[in-house]
Amino acid sequence: MIKIVKRDEPSRAIFFFTPVLAIFLTLVAGGLIFYILGFKPFEALKFFFIVPIADKYGFSELLLKATPLCLIAIGLSFCFKSNNWNIGAEGQLTFGAIVSGGVALLFYEQEGFYILPIVILAGAIGGMLYASIPAILKTYFNTNEILVSLMLVYVSKLILDYLVVGPWSNPEGFNFPETRQFSDSARLPLLFEGLRIHAGIFLALAAVVMSWFIFYKTYLGFQMKVSGFSLKTAKYAGYKGKKMIILVFLISGACAGLAGVGEITGPIGQLHREVSPDYGFTAIIVAFLGRLHPVGIIFASLVVAITYLGAETAQIFMQIPKYTGQVFQGMILFFLLASDYLLFFKFKFIGSNK
Amino acid sequence: MNTNLKISNVTKIYPGCVANDNVSLEFNSGKIYALLGENGAGKSTLVKILSGVIIPDEGKIYLNEINLKLNSPLDAKKNDIGMVFQHFNLFETLSVFENLIIDSDEQREVLREKIDSIMRKYNFSIDLDIPVLNLSAGQKQKVEIIRCLIRSPKVLIMDEPTSVLTEQETSELFLSLKKFSEEGILIIYITHKLKEVMELCDEVAVMRRGKLVSVSEIKNENIESLANKMVGQNLKTIKKKKEKNSSVKLINITNLNFISEDPFETNLSDINFSVNRGECLGIAGISGNGQSELFQVLSGEIISDKNSIEFNKNYIGDLNPQERREYLMAFSPEDRLEQAAIPQMAIYENVALNNYKSSNFFNNGLINENKIKEHSKKIISDFNVNTDNIELKSQFLSGGNLQKLIIGRELITSPDLLICFNPTWGLDVGAINYIHETLIKINEQNKSIILISTDTDELLKLSDKISVIHKGKLSKIMDADEVTSEKLGILMGGGN
Repeated sequence: MIKIVKRDEPSRAIFFFTPVLAIFLTLVAGGLIFYILGFKPFEALKFFFIVPIADKYGFSELLLKATPLCLIAIGLSFCFKSNNWNIGAEGQLTFGAIVSGGVALLFYEQEGFYILPIVILAGAIGGMLYASIPAILKTYFNTNEILVSLMLVYVSKLILDYLVVGPWSNPEGFNFPETRQFSDSARLPLLFEGLRIHAGIFLALAAVVMSWFIFYKTYLGFQMKVSGFSLKTAKYAGYKGKKMIILVFLISGACAGLAGVGEITGPIGQLHREVSPDYGFTAIIVAFLGRLHPVGIIFASLVVAITYLGAETAQIFMQIPKYTGQVFQGMILFFLLASDYLLFFKFKFIGSNK
Repeated sequence: MNTNLKISNVTKIYPGCVANDNVSLEFNSGKIYALLGENGAGKSTLVKILSGVIIPDEGKIYLNEINLKLNSPLDAKKNDIGMVFQHFNLFETLSVFENLIIDSDEQREVLREKIDSIMRKYNFSIDLDIPVLNLSAGQKQKVEIIRCLIRSPKVLIMDEPTSVLTEQETSELFLSLKKFSEEGILIIYITHKLKEVMELCDEVAVMRRGKLVSVSEIKNENIESLANKMVGQNLKTIKKKKEKNSSVKLINITNLNFISEDPFETNLSDINFSVNRGECLGIAGISGNGQSELFQVLSGEIISDKNSIEFNKNYIGDLNPQERREYLMAFSPEDRLEQAAIPQMAIYENVALNNYKSSNFFNNGLINENKIKEHSKKIISDFNVNTDNIELKSQFLSGGNLQKLIIGRELITSPDLLICFNPTWGLDVGAINYIHETLIKINEQNKSIILISTDTDELLKLSDKISVIHKGKLSKIMDADEVTSEKLGILMGGGN
C-alpha cells in the first residue's frame, strides 16, 4: 500500500529537484501530444529542443530570448519573495519600451555616446512609473495588485498601439503601424557580427548579481524578506512595510522596463505593435521555475527560451502552429506546481501488515 | 438512560511524534470527566478523534457497546457526540439563530421552539436575532453549546472552554455543565487548569506525552498531586518576593487615546497610568477588550501623540518600535508565530528582528551574520532554548522554546521596560515557570514590566499593581495584594 504523508520539513534536495522533474514530465507529455498529432515523438522533440540551438546563430537567438526573460524574472522575484503578486510585467515592459522609444525618437538621426544611457534610463523609469500604480493603489487604497497590474497590461498595449498608429508613426512609413528607426547611437551594440545577440545580456547579468547581493547580503534584503513573510512582524520590528512594498514594485518595474529597452533598441530598432511576445507573462513561469533564486532564474530563462525557438522551428519544419510553444510553457508551470506537492508530502510504501 | 463511551487502544502517530500511544479509557454518564495534560500531551488529538476530525491509526471507539466509525465530524454528530472547540466556529456576521440552524435541516419554526425551550431550561439569555459579533465570549460559547444541545447529544466534549471566560462566566458554565451531567449527558472536560478540575469534575484522566498516565477519582487527588502527574516531576512553586519598590517613575502615560478605523478593533479611551522602576504592572481583562491595541500603542506599532507617552523623561509617543528600542524598551507580542517571530526563518534570523543600533547586526546596510549568530548562541544558552542549531527554522521550536527565544531576544538590550502580552499563553507548566522566573528576575534587577495578560493567576502571581481593561478603558490601578481574582472578574466583566 502506498501512503502519502506530510514531510516534517520541506526537503532542500526536492526543492531544487522538482524543477528538473517538471521539465522531464513536460518532455514526456509533449512527446505524447506530438504522438497523438501523428508525429514521431523523438523527432518532434528534437526539432523543438535541439535543432534550434544546434548552431551558433541558434545559440545567439537562445540568449537573445533568454535575456528579457531573465531580467524580468529577476525583477519579479523581488515582488514574489515578498508576497506581492505583480503579474503585470508585460505592461511595465511595454510602458518602459514606450518611454525609452519616445526618448530614442527625440534623438532621431543624432549621434552621441550619451544617448544610449539616457534611453536605457528612460526605459527603467518608465517601467518603474508603471509599476508604481499598482503599488501605490495597493498600499494606500487596499486594492488587489493582481487585478490592477494585469489590467494595466492591456492599457499599456493600447497606448502603444495608439502611438505607433497615430502621433509617432513613421511619416515615410506608408501607414505601417511602426515608428522611425532609432539612430545607431540609441541602439544597444551587437556583440558579434552577424548574430543578433546584443549588449542587453549584460544588463540581465548585472541584475542577477545585484539581486543576489541585495537579497542575501543587505539589511534592505532582510527587511524585504521579513515584510514578505509577515507585515505584522515587519511593523513590530519597526520596518516601513509600505515603503518596502512600493520598493519591490519599483525594482520589478525597472527590470521589466529594461527588458523593454533591450527589445526595442536591440533586435527591433523601432517601436511597433508587438514589442514583446508575452515575455512579461512567460517570465512569471521563469521566476517560479528558477525558484526565485538568481542562479535558478538564469537556468530557467534558458529552458523557457528554448520553447520560443522550438515553436518557430517546429512551425517551419513540421507545420505545427507556433503556439505549441505556449503549450509547453503552460505544461512546465503545471508540472512544476504539481511536483511542488512533493515538497511537503512524501510517498511511503507500507507492507500489508494489517 | 446510561451512556458508556469506551476508547480502546487508540494510537495516532504523526511524523516525529506519537500523539496518542495506545490509549484506552472508559467513561460513564452521570459523571464529569476531566482530561488533563500539558499542551502537546495528546488530549486534543484524542478528543479530535472522538469528534471525527482526526482518524486514528489504530484503535476503536465504542458508544454503548457499538463500534463507531468516525470518519468525519458529521459522523460524530450523527452518533450523538457533541463538541465545543476552544476556538469558536461561528459566523460573526450571521445572527445567533442563523448560526444555530446552519447545519440542521429541520424546519425553522420547529428549531426556534426547540432552541427557546433549551434556553429556558438552562437559563440562557441570548438574543437570537443579533449578529454573533455583538456577543461576549461567554455568550458565544453558549451558542456553541446550544448548537450541540439541539441534537440532544449523549456525549458533550468541552475543549479548554474557560480560556476566554471571566470568573463569573466560568462559574455559570460549571453550573450548566453540572446540570447537563445530572440529565445524563456524559461530559468530557479538557483542560490544563488544575483548579477547574478540582472544582468541577468527578474523575480525572491525566495524559503526558501521548500516554495515559493515570485515571483517578478527584476526591483522592489534590492540586499538587495532579500537577506532578501532569508534568512528571516535582514542581517548585514560585512566589515573588514583595519588596519595597522605588518610587522613580519610568513610564508615564497621559490621556492616551486611539480610535481605530477597523470595526473589529477596540478604541482606547483616556488611558492614564505610570509604572515605577522595578515594578510590574499587570493589566487584566478578557481578550478583545483593547489589550492588543494597548500593546501596539505601547510598542509603537500604532503611533500616538508624542506627549502621551513619557519614558525616562523622553516623549516617545510618535516613535516606531525600532526607535523605542533605542530608549531601552522591549516588546514581546502575544502572537508568537505571526508577529513576534517568523516561523519560516532560521532562529538567528529571528534574533536579528531586534535590531537596536549597538547590536551591529547590520553595518552600513549589510548583514553581519557572524555577529547575529554569536548573539543567537548566547541567547540559546542563556535562556535554555532546547536546541543547539541556530540555523534551525523557528517553526520547529515548541511554543515554550520559541517564547524563551523571543524573551531572550528582547532582553539582550537589557531594557529598562519589558512589555509583554500573554507571554505564557498555550505553554506547558515547565515553560510557564521558566518565563515567570525570568520576569521576576527582571523586576529584581530594578527593571520594569507591563504585563498584559488574560490569565488572572499569572497576573496575581507576578504583578505589584493591577489594572483591568474593559472595552478600551482602564480601571483604577490597584495594589496586587489587595486584589482577589473575584474582584478582578467583576471588573473584567464591566462591573464595579
